[in-house]
Amino acid sequence: MNENSTHTEQLIQYLDGELQGDSLSTIQKSIEENNAIRAEFENLRMAKESVKSYGLKMRVGSIHEEMMQELKVKARPKTGILKTIYRYSLRVAAVLIILFGVSALYQYFSATPEKLFNENFQAFELHETRGKLKTSLEDMYEKGDMNGLIQQFSLLKSPQVKDYFLTGNAFLSTHQPARAIETFIRLEQLNKTNNTHFFEEDVEYFLALSYLSNNETSKALPLFEKIHADQNHPFHSAVSAWFISRVKRVSSHP
Amino acid sequence: MEISKTFTDSSLIQALRSDDPPDDAIRHLYRLYFALTAAYVTQNSGSEQDAEDIFQEVILVFIEVLKKEKFRGESSISTFLYSLTRNIWLNELKKRGRSKLRDAIFEKGKDQSDPDTSQLIVHREMKAELMQLVDKLGENCKKILLAFYFENLAMSEILQNMKYENEQVVRNKKYKCLKQLEQMLSAEPILAKNLKSVLFYE
Repeated sequence: MNENSTHTEQLIQYLDGELQGDSLSTIQKSIEENNAIRAEFENLRMAKESVKSYGLKMRVGSIHEEMMQELKVKARPKTGILKTIYRYSLRVAAVLIILFGVSALYQYFSATPEKLFNENFQAFELHETRGKLKTSLEDMYEKGDMNGLIQQFSLLKSPQVKDYFLTGNAFLSTHQPARAIETFIRLEQLNKTNNTHFFEEDVEYFLALSYLSNNETSKALPLFEKIHADQNHPFHSAVSAWFISRVKRVSSHP
Repeated sequence: MEISKTFTDSSLIQALRSDDPPDDAIRHLYRLYFALTAAYVTQNSGSEQDAEDIFQEVILVFIEVLKKEKFRGESSISTFLYSLTRNIWLNELKKRGRSKLRDAIFEKGKDQSDPDTSQLIVHREMKAELMQLVDKLGENCKKILLAFYFENLAMSEILQNMKYENEQVVRNKKYKCLKQLEQMLSAEPILAKNLKSVLFYE
């Protein structure tokens, strides 16, 4: 063994903590004083550390594989349940969308003026005016005596706007739309003559309904469209876009 | 059925600092912290595979930080691992040339309390070169050196595991293998110089 390899052997023994006594102090002195020996020792130290780092990498690598298996197995059922819930929700949503679509199509294609009228008709509600005495027509309207009201109206010599309005509604409630239309138009004419606007918006709505009930959808449609377009109209919420589209459908396929 | 050992933060740190960190301690890190760091990577444009690879890297850096006594416990293990993940993932994005994305993620996270871990991962690539160097040794060389320096086995124990005639033969083989690695290092002085700062980083 030459001098170099003796040094290397001693350096490795020193690195491994195997030297004691004189051998230890001799090699420590050599490392301190001899650049070549010091450089070799540094490289050996690095080689040892490299092996340790390599070992750690291998160890973590093998545990990594094992742990990924374990963690994936644990995660799988959770994902499975979530996926199942997600799929189930999608199916339910799809069924609901289909049912809604079928129902909408049915409503659209089966619409008739009569159906649309029945869906949308709400009888006018008479509100009490504090301190004012009720007329006989108001009293009858409130009691639901529509035939009595109509008869009483025919006896009036100079009916007022409100009398026309209540009578128009009485005709509409008793399924006499043609006479309701006639009465509401008279009311409009009276307003025009007197330059007043009594019951103007209410008449628009009930006249439109009267036209609908009388199978005159082409006359009802512009009135409903006007009400729908005016957000401040008191009957705006009663006339939806869906309702108008069905009135249009009925109007184009009488 | 295997019963997994549980650790407190301090017992975990102590176990991981040892020369040969126990498998249970490493497994414990995976069970507790993988989901947290994986979520960060996948939420920042990484794939599931990226999340797995980055966590493996994080574990290696963390153990080496512990061995060098660089973890002073000023933050919790989870905060420290999260910070390591963030830095390693940002580095990875930089390597992949996705600098815009990297900048966006960096800006998003810069206000978070962030222990200074950037220095700890600067030498990742140099370390990878070192691993390649060790990999070039023959299988027997690697086995002997790992058994002695990593697993801290005695010569007699190594002899039992490997087919050599006697302890002296094992000792000679170990001497030759370490010398071979030393020569590989001295043949690449620039790499050796850089590695010195990596391995003996203070």
